[in-house]
Amino acid sequence: MAGAFLRPARRTGGRLRPGRKELLLGVALLLLAGVFIAQELGFAVSLRQVLPVAAAGVGAVLAWSQLDDARREGLRNKAGADRAAGLARLLLGLVLVMVGVLVMVSGAISWDLTWATLLATGAVLAGVALVLAPWALRFWKDFEDERAGRVREAARAEIAAHLHDSVLQTLALIQNRAGSEQDVVRLARAQERELRHWLYADPAGHSGNLTDRLRVLAGEVEDSYGHPVEVVAVGDAPLTAGQEALAQAAREAIVNAAKHAGGTVSVYLEAGPSGSEAFIRDRGPGFDPLAVPADRLGIRESITTRMQRHGGAATIRSGPDGTEVHLKMPEQENRSHDG
Amino acid sequence: MTDEPMPNNPPPTVSVVVVDDHAIFRSGLRSDLDSRIRVVGEAATVEEAVAVVRARRPDVVLLDVHLPGGRGGGGAEVIAGCGDLGGSTRFLALSVSDSAEDVVAVIRAGARGYVTKTISGAGISDAVFRIASGDAVFSPRLAGFVLDAFGTAAVASTGTELDRLSARELEVMRLIARGYSYKEVAKELFISVKTVETHVSAVLRKLQLSSRHELTRWAAERRLL
Repeated sequence: MAGAFLRPARRTGGRLRPGRKELLLGVALLLLAGVFIAQELGFAVSLRQVLPVAAAGVGAVLAWSQLDDARREGLRNKAGADRAAGLARLLLGLVLVMVGVLVMVSGAISWDLTWATLLATGAVLAGVALVLAPWALRFWKDFEDERAGRVREAARAEIAAHLHDSVLQTLALIQNRAGSEQDVVRLARAQERELRHWLYADPAGHSGNLTDRLRVLAGEVEDSYGHPVEVVAVGDAPLTAGQEALAQAAREAIVNAAKHAGGTVSVYLEAGPSGSEAFIRDRGPGFDPLAVPADRLGIRESITTRMQRHGGAATIRSGPDGTEVHLKMPEQENRSHDG
Repeated sequence: MTDEPMPNNPPPTVSVVVVDDHAIFRSGLRSDLDSRIRVVGEAATVEEAVAVVRARRPDVVLLDVHLPGGRGGGGAEVIAGCGDLGGSTRFLALSVSDSAEDVVAVIRAGARGYVTKTISGAGISDAVFRIASGDAVFSPRLAGFVLDAFGTAAVASTGTELDRLSARELEVMRLIARGYSYKEVAKELFISVKTVETHVSAVLRKLQLSSRHELTRWAAERRLL
């Protein structure tokens, strides 16, 4: 009786779907009822007989449910903890079945004979395993090959989809606008930037950081004004309010450079734990920062004041060789020390 | 403190071999180059490149980083294959790639400089003259990689001299990363262009030879070396 109760107890501990749990409980109860009826009818059903059968049954269910699980979960989590758990389940099932069967037969046959038979069985099983091993290995290899093929195919499909959405579309646009040099250059630059980001983006880099932000802003300016903006970034920093202000001020400086100077705009960003610095340089004719009329909000409000408001500083150097805007933003905590 | 002419005493003519697997790019480059630069050979694969460079012995090889053929090593493999030419032939790497992996691999193989293919005709000609006269050519992006790899702070003397940049070298690298030409760097730091070139060559040497811990770690993070 205890053996029969063991079954539902084990079931609830396992990872089974809710519907099947009730089903198994029902089967177990039916079996239990059967045992009782048999006793009532006069058959001497002893615990000695029930326990081994129950053990063998539990073992078989364990082993088979493993196969079922493997099929159900497919290839999703072939490697990892689930696999070890599955193996343990299989082994436990095997041991339970063997112990159950052994105990059942040991009543009828002597132990000596049992051991001899066990030995012979083991030898036969080993022989069969030896014969089947190459076949099993080949089967496994075919399976792995097919899986790798599927992964490759998926990767190829992803690349094809991306190229279709980006490069092919841009090439079509370029053919349409072949007459306008500026449009063609702009399209080509935008596409180049997008493709580069897709190909070479640092997988360890965290998107949403300062470097990323500045690259996006620079790309937007490049798109709207058609002048190349070369961004070189060293290090990175999280995008705090201060660093966001630096990025926005840098954007204004890039817009100014693209609008008034033209040509390539060089942007250099150096970010670290103690703060960040950005240099925006163009090769235009230059201007006198002090001579900019007060009503022109661009430089004064968007760059200088914005930086000061967040505890940073902006310096503008302009000469015949071009203009360079230097932005400096210390990290928030160190603001009072860094000035 | 005086501004010297941009390339120091450039040789009257410079012979170059153009190595790139795209014929369109090769012909475009050929027509863009200065008239004092003679293209003496072209190659499209690693094997062709090694053969042509060995046969022609040019002053400068304009070398695409990504090349078919060989053992898949691309431009770095060409440099290795020509390693016994005794340094009379110098290599300038050209690439469309931004990845640190490509840049650092080809520089450590022995290239004297790295520029991207979007460079102007005047820019590439200037770079060829510089390389021919023994200088190194750093683009802003390469300077950025160097600063990233060696760190932006002048570190205390840990490790050998090869493993860190001096304060001056750091300044030069920063200015190049900011888009300054050698001449502008010289003016900014009140030194001669020749001194700037010396600093840049020293940085190149460190980049090639250093076994700096940070450089190794930096490279490992990007799965280089």
